[in-house]
Amino acid sequence: MSVCTARSLTLLGIDALPVEVEVDVSAGLPGFSIVGLPDAAVQEARERVKVAISNSGFKFPTKKVIVNLAPAHLRKEGPAFDLPIALAVLAVSGVVPAQRLDGAGVVGELSLDGGLRGVRGALCMAEGARREGLRSLVLPESNAAEAASIGGVKVFGMSSLREAVDFFSGVREVEPAVAEEDGRPEEVRSGDDFADVAGQRFAKRALEVAASGGHNVLMSGPPGSGKTMLARRLPGILPPLTLEESIEVTKVHSAAGQGSGALMRARPFRSPHHTISTSGLAGGGSNPRPGEVSLAHHGVLFLDEFPEFSRATLEVLRQPLEDGHVTISRVAATLSYPARVTLVCSMNPCPCGYSGDKRRTCRCSAGQIERYQGRISGPLLDRIDLFVDVPRLSREELRGGEAAEPSKDIRARVAKARDAQHRRQRVSNSALAGRRLREVCTLRGDSEALFGTAIDRMGLSGRAHDRVLRVARTVADLAGETGISVEHLAEALNYRRSSFFGR
Amino acid sequence: MAGRDQASYLFLSLLQARTGTSFVSRLGDVPLTAVPEMSSAELGQRVRMTERAARAFEDLRRDFDPGAMIGELERRGISMLTPADAGYPPRLTKVPDPPPALFVDGTLPEALRDELPEAVAVVGSRKASPSGLDAARRLGGALGERGVCVISGLALGIDAAAHEGALEAGGSTVGVLGCGIDVVYPRSNHRLFGKVRESGALVSEYHLGEAPLAWRFPARNRIIAGLCGSVVVVEAAEKSGALITARHALDAGGDVWAVPGPLGLAECRGSNKLLADGAGCIWDVAEFVEAIAPVPAGGIVPLEKPLDVSLPAGLAPGEAAALAGVGFEPTEVDAVAGRSGLKMQELLSALGLLELKGYIHRDGSGAFVRRPAG
Repeated sequence: MSVCTARSLTLLGIDALPVEVEVDVSAGLPGFSIVGLPDAAVQEARERVKVAISNSGFKFPTKKVIVNLAPAHLRKEGPAFDLPIALAVLAVSGVVPAQRLDGAGVVGELSLDGGLRGVRGALCMAEGARREGLRSLVLPESNAAEAASIGGVKVFGMSSLREAVDFFSGVREVEPAVAEEDGRPEEVRSGDDFADVAGQRFAKRALEVAASGGHNVLMSGPPGSGKTMLARRLPGILPPLTLEESIEVTKVHSAAGQGSGALMRARPFRSPHHTISTSGLAGGGSNPRPGEVSLAHHGVLFLDEFPEFSRATLEVLRQPLEDGHVTISRVAATLSYPARVTLVCSMNPCPCGYSGDKRRTCRCSAGQIERYQGRISGPLLDRIDLFVDVPRLSREELRGGEAAEPSKDIRARVAKARDAQHRRQRVSNSALAGRRLREVCTLRGDSEALFGTAIDRMGLSGRAHDRVLRVARTVADLAGETGISVEHLAEALNYRRSSFFGR
Repeated sequence: MAGRDQASYLFLSLLQARTGTSFVSRLGDVPLTAVPEMSSAELGQRVRMTERAARAFEDLRRDFDPGAMIGELERRGISMLTPADAGYPPRLTKVPDPPPALFVDGTLPEALRDELPEAVAVVGSRKASPSGLDAARRLGGALGERGVCVISGLALGIDAAAHEGALEAGGSTVGVLGCGIDVVYPRSNHRLFGKVRESGALVSEYHLGEAPLAWRFPARNRIIAGLCGSVVVVEAAEKSGALITARHALDAGGDVWAVPGPLGLAECRGSNKLLADGAGCIWDVAEFVEAIAPVPAGGIVPLEKPLDVSLPAGLAPGEAAALAGVGFEPTEVDAVAGRSGLKMQELLSALGLLELKGYIHRDGSGAFVRRPAG
């Protein structure tokens, strides 16, 4: 037979699509060509495959070799086709029995000595293989544990081309890889507990409300007041990831080549630097990879020094904050990465940082402060429900008050509030708008009248009105009540925007 | 002849906008009307001029077209007052460097046309505290109610609050600018500019389109001081322009008043120092207004209840505890929590309710301040 086929997979977004690797060897001038929309890295497979085959002790056919990657319309990228091409070539030469390649997905990058190197997106490939009904997945050893963590498909890790050939010819028995001990849902890492933060009870309460309702937060305060420390602890009070969520999170990290080798059980916390580019934040590039907003999927995206981010960069956050995913359009394909995040932003109140601080004088002019705060895009601010001022506390204030509560107690309350929301409306309170919002937020007793007064006296706009209502709903959920009463509404008023940003 | 005078004054005004404020006062016995006709060399023999000033003078002399400029002012409804005009505020002639021309957009209130003391400047910091803003607004309102014209500089902070207070009380108010009469600076005050123009006037010594350069603001303070009999400083840091206004007022024989501020606040050190140096202390709005503009018959009419330190009756226990924890200087939520001993969520509810009832006020940095009930 002169045509043999191996099955492989390629990444599109965080999903792996099946690719058939067909190899034809025919008489003619010796040559090696690859067709089927391969990119540069795939083209280079010719050299790697040739050398790896000879260095593994096999003979590369001195005939005309044509490799076709089907379906032809899909752009193929990356070095993961090296191993299936090599195996299919060897199947044509009769070294590997062709029928044994059937029903097995193969991915892997070859090195010149015939060894195998890891690939990006192993978990996504395993999921794709399972979906496609493949019996097994053969890939480099370093990816095996990650791929095995999803289950439902037998995963075999190989260290070299030689080993893979032996495996397929039945010469060598290989045990299927097992997932690394993933244990129970990960406990909050010991360093990041709210119990370690003295004072700042207002900010902690605000973060509890944010976690409960999925609200985005903006913290404003002078340097050294603990904004970053507080934000880091937010993932720890979110409920643990469900298995489905874990898989999604791990897939995104795997597709970005940042997989840890096991299923991720902790909610991600990402804090990109403010010099980040648009595609760094949203994802993209010529070989598209997920950006920070997707890596923070189901977790917290923390933007420190919020006004320093370029406006164009921040604008790309509008879609994910609205829809929960990012769409990237390229000439070759349009793909989408999941990106459902809780956004936490922090900023100084003015360029020097000390406006409103009691112990240091602010050096900025009123105009400078106005310009600094005006730098933040209005549409993005509209997606933030909670505004918290985080002052620097004096020693007296750090000492006073109740003992700090550990994260796990807060997490229990958050979980309850979230359950209540899901039972009632199936989405978090932060996603409520329009008619749905009014249906769900019934004002009880005097709260209707109180809200009227608040709108008049505080000059709340329509949007601000909705924000207060959403937050009041979450406060009521935390208290375990079905209607919003006066005290819930009054608390919600404290999280409104300060006059800085307009209303 | 009047036309020629006007042209000369306009020329001097434009020249002064380029060379600095004291040029006219240094002319000595040079007749004003002769200046536009002289060459810079001739003028240089009589007055000491820098090279830059001489160049500005030559440039100006070459392009000077008084007819077109005055026509443009008329077309825009802006009047020009010179010391030769009857409408020129008489008090202004007594400041060390009276502006050679005053551009007025709107109607200059009667109070400025004679020497009655019925105009008061309220000035202070751009970065004022909420209680400072509150004080400026109340002073502006009380003065406006009593028919006293409120003069200020249309800057952010205290200036804007004083203008707004006067406008809310239906009083007349005058804004003195440090830039061209048609330039709105700062931009965020543009709505206030319109309102001040309607119920009073915008005044500037600078012709159309002159930029808001930093040195022009201290210079315009002498006009603020020169237009009125008394200057009130609400909040001023130690190097504040408001203190320059106060010094000008003292030089011109006016009164200076100041509102006492809390200890330790940098934004109040300048105004507190004025008090220590003997400025009038504004401890009560009604008493102050009475001192400025006494009502002919009858005693002092209390304008409002004084701030009551004791807790008002009828508050829920939580609210009372929260209110007791809020200070008269800005207090952060966590500090209030420490003082009141309330749980955070109870405290937040209480603070929200207290704010709605008007007992407390939240400032731009999220701190709370007590205010008089109402």
